[in-house]
Amino acid sequence: MLDQVLHAVETYLRHTPQGEFLRTAKWGWPIFESLHFLGMSMLLGTVGVFDLRLLGFARRIPIAALHRLIPIGIAGFVINVVTGFCFLSATPDQYLFNLAFRWKLTFLTVAGLNVMIFYARVFRRLLETQPGTAPPLSARMAGAVSLLAWIGVMSAGRLLTFFRP
Amino acid sequence: MDPLFTWIEATPFSTWLRDSPSLWVFPFILILHTVGLAFFVGANVAWDVRVLGFSPAIPLDALRRYFVVMWAGFWVNAVSGVLLLIAYPTKALTNPLFYTKLGLIALGIVLALRIRREVHGTAHGTAGVPALARTLAGASLACWIAVIFAGRLLAYTCTRLMVDTTC
Repeated sequence: MLDQVLHAVETYLRHTPQGEFLRTAKWGWPIFESLHFLGMSMLLGTVGVFDLRLLGFARRIPIAALHRLIPIGIAGFVINVVTGFCFLSATPDQYLFNLAFRWKLTFLTVAGLNVMIFYARVFRRLLETQPGTAPPLSARMAGAVSLLAWIGVMSAGRLLTFFRP
Repeated sequence: MDPLFTWIEATPFSTWLRDSPSLWVFPFILILHTVGLAFFVGANVAWDVRVLGFSPAIPLDALRRYFVVMWAGFWVNAVSGVLLLIAYPTKALTNPLFYTKLGLIALGIVLALRIRREVHGTAHGTAGVPALARTLAGASLACWIAVIFAGRLLAYTCTRLMVDTTC
């Protein structure tokens, strides 16, 4: 059943304009890969740095101020969703049946759930803490889960070519 | 240079790095190089956009502590990069783009240190950031983007994988 669905998705994606573009444009793939790495750096340089602050690193930086860098991370994430979806559309069979790709989606889901829990439960209370004090346990947990999840996403992404179906 | 490459490629260490089937050898070194890049370049990008005037409420002297992140990323990538070089010396060292990448990284580090000196003593607000520092931060951003492109394009521009194999 799942296999049939995946094959249908594969056929559909393969014939999308973005899929055909990336398969045929001469420097399309390398340029999109570079953008994917740039987006990753934008994400880790802001969200990753924010996670370190949640873990207690550089406590003198006010949380609210550092949080204002997050839109850059979101921009990086959007770049990566777009370029990533183009990779997936160009050679869907290389991803849909790839164990590393499933791990990557799993880590992305963990990161996403962690973001929701963080903003629903942790963030508002955290803003009331004074710079210089140790972050509460909930904040440190959120920071640790986020860091590990994003390192997991990057590792699984890097392993894609070693798990070619 | 070929005799040197031949010698490196024949060493047991180089052969092991290339041929070990374990995911903890070559793939793991690639992962280290990627995660290191994200923190090295990412911390630089965060620093540059702050100097350019984004989120002026972040105290620059506190953000200075993120130089630790930058250097940690740098060293992870220097070590993993040398290991990749030992595995495939011909591939990188016969590609002019590789030297361009190294030059751009050196330029990026010089710029980062220079910007740090320029903003020394600046605490809050864009008004306090000297115009020169902002120009340098713009140059630094462009430099790191170029580093990423150069690094990624290495895989597509190499002509010789090993002394006796083409890419």
